[in-house]
Amino acid sequence: MKWKKEDIKQYVQAKEYIDTIVIPLIPFHLSQDNELEKGTFQSEVLSLFSNEIEKELTGRVMLLPTYHYLKSVNKEPEADRLNKWVEDVQKQPFTHIFFITFDSSWKKNEQALNGTLLWLPGVSSGDLHSKEMHGVIRNQVEQIVELIRSYW
Amino acid sequence: MSEKKQQVSRRQFLNYTLTGVGGFMAAGLLVSPLRMAIDPVLQKSTHGDLANVSLAVGDITTEPTRVDWKIDQVDGWYESQVSKSAWVFKDENDEIQAFSPVCKHLGCVVSWEGSEDFPNEFYCPCHDGRYYKDGTNVPGTPPLAPLDVFEREVRDGMLFLGEAKPKGEA
Ligand code: FES
Repeated sequence: MKWKKEDIKQYVQAKEYIDTIVIPLIPFHLSQDNELEKGTFQSEVLSLFSNEIEKELTGRVMLLPTYHYLKSVNKEPEADRLNKWVEDVQKQPFTHIFFITFDSSWKKNEQALNGTLLWLPGVSSGDLHSKEMHGVIRNQVEQIVELIRSYW
Repeated sequence: MSEKKQQVSRRQFLNYTLTGVGGFMAAGLLVSPLRMAIDPVLQKSTHGDLANVSLAVGDITTEPTRVDWKIDQVDGWYESQVSKSAWVFKDENDEIQAFSPVCKHLGCVVSWEGSEDFPNEFYCPCHDGRYYKDGTNVPGTPPLAPLDVFEREVRDGMLFLGEAKPKGEA
């Protein structure tokens, strides 16, 4: 399910079945010319990923709006803010919280996060619409779905 | 000086117009149900043609296999490529079956033999929903209806699939 009116209507009817949250973490910065392409590309890939995961597991997983943050900043205050999201989410009966990201700097702050971090080594370039890329993404999505299921 | 003055008045002007646009949008909301009914662009999606899913009929076995393909869809504001999937196989009467992988409980994607515990069934990972090979939901599991069935057609030895419909209608 997504953060959309239609989906939320369904959620309210079937709360007891939807117990898992996925929050994509995507860095943003416009200041470094030589990293712009990579940054935007990874952002697109992660959005695609999150959507595919949501599609596979839509009846049990709610995909939250992406959390964007400035790439260069200290992760501690960001983790605090994210934990506020989690606190709010947990007013509803959710038991599994996953953060999904390509940004390895979260790895060092994993402990501070109130949930499970799924860090994926990023694809740094390529053509999002090519057949090969589809294959790669399909394959990775299957693995992440498998991983999420192992927590259920 | 005069330039600055002009800028401010331009900004004010835009502000006024925007307020006007706001009012216009509110009015738009009031008439929109009618608009939905008459404006074809806002209709849900384009219906119709069956798509070639790049599968030769000769290659279809009795083992359900996942087929993925893409169609162009116009959905309200967006025209986009949508990916579709089906589980395709030949049943005991040698007829081609194509089931939608969307679970009838809350919509997760089901797999053929997706669980080792339930061989020869479609399995939904979300809440252990199960379906027999003919698509019928296993009683006592969450889904309350059989898997949807794709409209299907064979042209020149290739499989074409259309829309998924509730079993019995396609
Ligand atoms: S979504 Fe398939 S069993 Fe609940």
